[in-house]
Amino acid sequence: MKANQVPAALQVEERTFLSRIDLNFALVILALNIIGLINLYSATHGVHVDGTSRLFWLQMAWLALGWAVFFVVTFIDYQWFYRLAYGLYALNLGALIAVKYFGTASYGAQRWLDLGFFRYQPSETMKLIMVIVLARILCQHSSLQGLGFRKLAIPLALLAIPFILTVRQPDLGTAMMLMGVGGALFLFVKVKRSILLGGVLTLLVAAPLVWNYGLKEYQKNRILTFLSPDRDPRGTGYNSIQSRIAVGSGRILGKGFRKGTQSQLEFLPERHTDFIFSVLSEEHGFIGSVTTVGLFMVLLIMGIKVATQARDKFGALLVIGVVAYLFLHMVVNVGMVIGLLPIVGVPLPLLSYGGSSLLATMAGLGLVSSVAYRRYLF
Amino acid sequence: MSFLSNPEEEAKEYLPRYQLLYIAIGLVGLIFFARLWYLQIVEGTELRRYSERNRVKEIKIPAPRGLILDRDGRVLVDNLPGFEATISPQYATRLEETAEAVGAVLGLSPQSIVENVRTSRRRNGPFRPVRIKDHLNLDEVHRLKMLRWDHPGLNVNEVIIRYYPLGPNGAQLFGYVNEISRDQLQRYNERYRGEFVFEQGDIIGQSGLEEVWERTLRGRDGISYVEVDSRGREAATETPSFLGFKPRPAEPGDNLVLTIDRDIQEAAFIAMNREDHIGPRRGALVAMKANGEVLAWVNTPSFDPNDFSTGISPQLWSKLINDPFRPLRNKVIQDHFAPGSTFKPFVALAALQEKAITRQTVLPSPPFLRFGRRNYHDHSPTGHGNVTVLEAMERSSNVFFYKMGIALGMDVIAQYSRLLGLGQRTGVRMNNEVPGLIPDSEWKLQAVGEPWQPGENLSNAIGQGFVLTTPLQMAVAYNAIGLKGPVYRPYLVRQVLDQDNDVLNEFFPEVLRDASRPENEGDPYIELEHFETVKESMRLVANGERGTARWWKIPGVEMAGKTGTTQIVGFSADQIRGRCDERPLHLRHHGWYVGYAPAERPEITVAVLAMHSCAGSSGAAPIVRDVIKAYMEKYHPEKLRPQRIAAPEIQPRPEEVSE
Repeated sequence: MKANQVPAALQVEERTFLSRIDLNFALVILALNIIGLINLYSATHGVHVDGTSRLFWLQMAWLALGWAVFFVVTFIDYQWFYRLAYGLYALNLGALIAVKYFGTASYGAQRWLDLGFFRYQPSETMKLIMVIVLARILCQHSSLQGLGFRKLAIPLALLAIPFILTVRQPDLGTAMMLMGVGGALFLFVKVKRSILLGGVLTLLVAAPLVWNYGLKEYQKNRILTFLSPDRDPRGTGYNSIQSRIAVGSGRILGKGFRKGTQSQLEFLPERHTDFIFSVLSEEHGFIGSVTTVGLFMVLLIMGIKVATQARDKFGALLVIGVVAYLFLHMVVNVGMVIGLLPIVGVPLPLLSYGGSSLLATMAGLGLVSSVAYRRYLF
Repeated sequence: MSFLSNPEEEAKEYLPRYQLLYIAIGLVGLIFFARLWYLQIVEGTELRRYSERNRVKEIKIPAPRGLILDRDGRVLVDNLPGFEATISPQYATRLEETAEAVGAVLGLSPQSIVENVRTSRRRNGPFRPVRIKDHLNLDEVHRLKMLRWDHPGLNVNEVIIRYYPLGPNGAQLFGYVNEISRDQLQRYNERYRGEFVFEQGDIIGQSGLEEVWERTLRGRDGISYVEVDSRGREAATETPSFLGFKPRPAEPGDNLVLTIDRDIQEAAFIAMNREDHIGPRRGALVAMKANGEVLAWVNTPSFDPNDFSTGISPQLWSKLINDPFRPLRNKVIQDHFAPGSTFKPFVALAALQEKAITRQTVLPSPPFLRFGRRNYHDHSPTGHGNVTVLEAMERSSNVFFYKMGIALGMDVIAQYSRLLGLGQRTGVRMNNEVPGLIPDSEWKLQAVGEPWQPGENLSNAIGQGFVLTTPLQMAVAYNAIGLKGPVYRPYLVRQVLDQDNDVLNEFFPEVLRDASRPENEGDPYIELEHFETVKESMRLVANGERGTARWWKIPGVEMAGKTGTTQIVGFSADQIRGRCDERPLHLRHHGWYVGYAPAERPEITVAVLAMHSCAGSSGAAPIVRDVIKAYMEKYHPEKLRPQRIAAPEIQPRPEEVSE
């Protein structure tokens, strides 16, 4: 391809594969993985050990697979994803539709496809596929003046279909993440000011309508509960208060590995998935929490740096999409655990238990790494 | 391919946006840092104190289901307190020892207890208590409570047991409750999404009213919080007032007030289990007020729903499932049967309205009728001589109605029977109601794939052949005849009451249609005088000199009705006239009686199907009489004339029985 015509890249060809990978990037991911595993071990094992939990072994397996995916994606020229974008989108959309008809439900929502060996959650991978599709469309259409309405129509429609399917599952958290990732990409390539203004206005008008007719009772409750946690001590308010106590009681150094009384003895539901960060904060305190948040920051900043050096616009947008994906998940999840945001079912990438989410995250990071691998070297 | 390059100007354009991203990330980092600082360092000591002192455990308080009351407010379905033993995996530090000790008290194998707890721990997490045994007796409760101090995680909880004071009486109507099954769990959470969340171990209504009215009867479970020590034992029974945790009391479900009258229901059950030469009846009974309020609803043989409340044993379950008379089935609506001669009033109405006959028309009724190449027999070997429609009904002449079948054809008869509510669901709010079948030529062509045969007009005109009805349909249709037109929707629930006995919802009689008036111009209807004729003929069945149900009277109250006897296999002369009670049980005829009282204008209509009782006149009619008598004794005692002392009950002679 064109890379061969760039002299700078020619020099690089002589280096070995491994040395061309951004090693620091991989090491930050690995650090987060290790924190995640230690933490998950604690979250899935009570005070009394009863053998190693099945969930923990599963997560180990997913992690191994995740790294394999990471390397494969790194070595594939990301231009392949440019070509595969619509195919992947169609496949994932098919899976989302299949969920509606053959999916398995739990906690009153139908989100998973039972594949026998594991339960696949298509909405999780859709977030990443959306990044690829939008990067492809936007890199062709963006201009200095910003996107007009006509050029926005197709990507918006492509975004709306999985969004609606996910809302109907119902899974408001994941749907909002899809919107967030898409929106971030639009804003990044610049949207005409008039459209931006129109969008904000529509939102202001639509919000009360959605509140009254679109949201389920439990979804309204969660938002109301966030605004006043005493409203329903049994429901989501209980989680919010317990989570805050867990975080705060960790103090500076934390209570120690598997010594978190809140997470080990109390009802902290979903503590190995959505509330994983509260386990970390309780057991490893301010130091542990800030280190973890800091590692995420470093990862994101490294990502943005890769974007600035990307060889082409598609690559840059891919990376920005993945960065937005990680950033939004981190903000919403950690924000919820420390009581800054309402309770929304969104996993914390690399730390929460869950195969679909972990694989999607590792593949996304692989994309970043792939763009870095083929960057301009000045 | 412009997208492959990164044009200079656009790259420049991007630069400030990257700056913006860095700023956003930095800002979030700062906010999170500040918030963590606040929670963990400023508030940390305070929150640590909370987390150490107060280990709050959530305890679910199950909500009692709503009661089911009869029309006078007497309890038909109740709640009783009971006990269950559980082990919480997260606190059970010495599971093997605990299992050993508990197993010895409860007579369970320790291995199965350990396995049970481990499986649940893997599947549901360590926090959900695992039920070891429910319905403990008091002795077990005391012994387990003593064990509790040495065995962390072991608990004895109070639970609520559903209690049915009437036992097997009305079991198919009230239904029973049982633990929600795995596949129900998913279905119920979808059906009641946004209203209830069902969890494993929840008790739900599994049939009858318990199932239909789940939404109403089900309460909302309450929550209480208790402090537990580091081993998970409850440290204080007082709920700590802690960060705004207020316990939420359980909200009991709403109560149902039925149309059922407990006195009539009990009289009906006793009547169905009559000890006479036939013995307890197997079948179905339904008694209805003229406005559609169901007074009694009995199926026999029955089962005891209390067995389900206290955990049914597999042996008993398989016995119920394999019983050939299917005690779990609600035969009042769930099974349909050939109505036999109880179908004749509908044929008579059709014949009168279509002017095939008048009230005065006299037709010969010999012992059999030759039609095509077959002889169609009457149950009487001597025939009935020359009869009018009144006498034909009174004696239940088959030949007279064969002739009606030939004259009208089944399509016309079907039209009028459907007008009165046959061949369709009655619309009672219960699950699994079957529509029955009123056949016509179009139906046969579609369902069987063959054209209607002229001979079938004869057999179907006496309620054999394809005709199928449910006991409830018969009660509704006879009630409509008695009232000369209005077809009421039968209903079971009058009111829904909350805990303060305030009426939340109320139900009223509903007339589905009036058969005496055409719905639209040209639609079929039946004139009032024809209703009068058929009503008079049914009065003769119960009161006439040769009425097939004349043995069963209530002094002071005149009844009306019609007997029916349906052949199980074929109906040759031998089949119809042979001695029924010498045959094996499953080949004996079914007996029907549908009757109402008072004969001039019904207040109560009762339909009884007595399976394999050989004849409607002796198998079903006395039961209807007993139920109507119980009704009259309660509501119109002034009408009843005292019975002559020690008057022996006259029994029908066998040859008269075989109508």
